[in-house]
Amino acid sequence: MSELLKSLVIDSATSHLYIALYHGDDELEAYYEEGHNDHSVKLMSELEAMLKRQKMHVKDLHRIVIGIGPGSYTGLRVGVVIAKMFGWTLDIPVYQVSSLALLASSVDEGIVIPAVDARRGNAFLGLYEVKNGNLYQLKDEELTNLKAYEEAQTDGKTVLAGKPNLRLLHNSSLLVKVEDIHQLTPNYLRLTEAEKNAKSS
Amino acid sequence: MIVLSVESSCDETSVSISKDGKTILSNIVLSQIDVHKTYGGVVPEIASREHVKGITLVFEEALQAANITKDEVDLIAVTKGPGLIGSLLIGVNAAKAFALANDIPIVGVHHIAGHIYANHITKDLVFPLVCLVVSGGHTELILMKDHYDFQKLGETYDDAVGEAYDKVARTVGLGYPGGPIVDQLAHQGEATYPMPNIDQKDSYDFSFSGLKSHIINLVHNIHQRNETLNVENLCASFQEVVSDVLVRKSVKAIKEFDAKMFIVAGGVAANKGLREKIDKEIHDVEVVVPNFEYCTDNAAMIGIAGYFQYMTSKKTDDMTLNGFSRVKLME
Ligand SMILES: [Zn+2]
Repeated sequence: MSELLKSLVIDSATSHLYIALYHGDDELEAYYEEGHNDHSVKLMSELEAMLKRQKMHVKDLHRIVIGIGPGSYTGLRVGVVIAKMFGWTLDIPVYQVSSLALLASSVDEGIVIPAVDARRGNAFLGLYEVKNGNLYQLKDEELTNLKAYEEAQTDGKTVLAGKPNLRLLHNSSLLVKVEDIHQLTPNYLRLTEAEKNAKSS
Repeated sequence: MIVLSVESSCDETSVSISKDGKTILSNIVLSQIDVHKTYGGVVPEIASREHVKGITLVFEEALQAANITKDEVDLIAVTKGPGLIGSLLIGVNAAKAFALANDIPIVGVHHIAGHIYANHITKDLVFPLVCLVVSGGHTELILMKDHYDFQKLGETYDDAVGEAYDKVARTVGLGYPGGPIVDQLAHQGEATYPMPNIDQKDSYDFSFSGLKSHIINLVHNIHQRNETLNVENLCASFQEVVSDVLVRKSVKAIKEFDAKMFIVAGGVAANKGLREKIDKEIHDVEVVVPNFEYCTDNAAMIGIAGYFQYMTSKKTDDMTLNGFSRVKLME
C-alpha cells in the first residue's frame, strides 16, 4: 500500500464504535467509544466533526475500510450502509474486513481469540495471531459457545474489546477489495430466527 | 428545486427524484413482499437486511430514471419514522452519507406527512382540508389549515384499519397481505353477517378491536356448529362496517371545519370498498385519493412532504438525524 493513501476505517459491529482516519500508516485521528445503541446518531456526526478537524472532505478519501461483522448488533448495518454509500456515490474503493480481525489487531503480539457477544453464552469467535507486525487468521470464524471454544483452544488470549490498529492489516490479505459496491452486505454468520424456523419446518 | 427522497420504514426500499414539490421525475420502489410472503408477514430483521442489499442500487436507478446527476440535487428528504427501527436506520444513514458526501442539506420527514402529501401529486392541496389516514399502522383524522400544519382530530384506540384487515384475513385463512384479498372478496359477497356497532359516539376516534374479536368468535362458532362460512359475505360485512365508520366520521369533520377538500392517505386508500363509499357519501367538497402507486409506501411522497417541510420551516437536520420507531407528526 502506498504511504500516501488517506483511509477511513469504520467498525460498528459491536457496542463499541470505531472511526479512524489514516494517512498511510499514520493514524491521524480515531474515535473509539462504547455506545448506547446510538451508532446511528454518533457515526455520521463524529465522522463529520473528525473530517472538519482534519480539514478533510469525504471526497479526499482514497479508500474506505469497513468492518462487516460477524455480528448481530443492529449498529453493524449502520456502518456498512455508510461505507457502501460513500463508496458508491464518490467512487471510492471500499475494502471489507472482518470485525473480529479488527478486534484482534488491538493486540500487539501473540495468539488472539477476538470475541463478540452473541448472548446466551455464545459469541462470534475467531482465532488470529499477531506476529512481527502482521495479523494472520488461523481458523474460520464461527458462532459458538465461548467457554467451550476457550477450553478447546489451549493458547490464545480472549479479547472482548480493543481499539483496532490498521497498521497490522495494511499488507494483509484480510482486507478484501469490494468489486461490486452494490453487493456489499454485512457478514451475519447466522440466519434470522424466521429463516431457521422456515428451514426446519 | 430538485429533491432526492428516501423511504425505508417497512419492507419497501424506495428512492425518488422530484421537482418543486410537485413533479415526480422518478420513483423507484424495491418491494420485499415476495421475501416476507413466506413468513406470513414482515420479519423486521429480514426487512433490514434487504434494505442494506438494495439501497445503493435503488439510489442509482432513481437518478438514472430521472436523468439527474447528484450535483443537481438541492435537498435530501428521508423518512425518520414511525416504522420498523432497523429498516428506518438504513434509509436515514444512507441519506446522511449521501448528503455529507455531496454537500447537500437533509431533512427528516414524518412517514404520515408523506402519505398525506401523496395527494398533492394528484391535485394541489386546498385548505382547510380534512385528511383520513388509513394504513397498516395508522387510522387518524387530521385537519390541515395550511401547508405542513397538521391538527389531529382523532385516532384509533387500538388496531389500525390495515391491521384489522390483516387479522380478518388470517382468521379465515386468506393469504398475506390480507387487505387487498379481503377487499376483493368483499366485492363478490354481500354484507349478510351482523356486525357490532363500532361508532365511538361523538368523537373522531376509532376502535377496531371489538370488531376483530367479534369476527374471530363468529368464525369459531360457525366452525363449531359445522356450518359453512361464506367468506365473501363475511368480508363484505366487515368491509361495510369499517368503511361506514371511516366515511361517517370524515363527513362529520368536513362539516364541522368547513373543509374545501377531503383527502385520503395511506395504504388502505387503495381499498376499493372505501373508495366506493367515499364516492357515494361525500359530495360537497373536492375529494382526492392518491394514485395507486402513491398509496403504498414510496419515496415520491416523502420528497413532496420534504419539500413543503423545508419551504415552510426553512430548517434542515444535521448528521445527528436519527430514525424513530415512534414519532409524532407535529412536534
Ligand atoms: Zn406507510
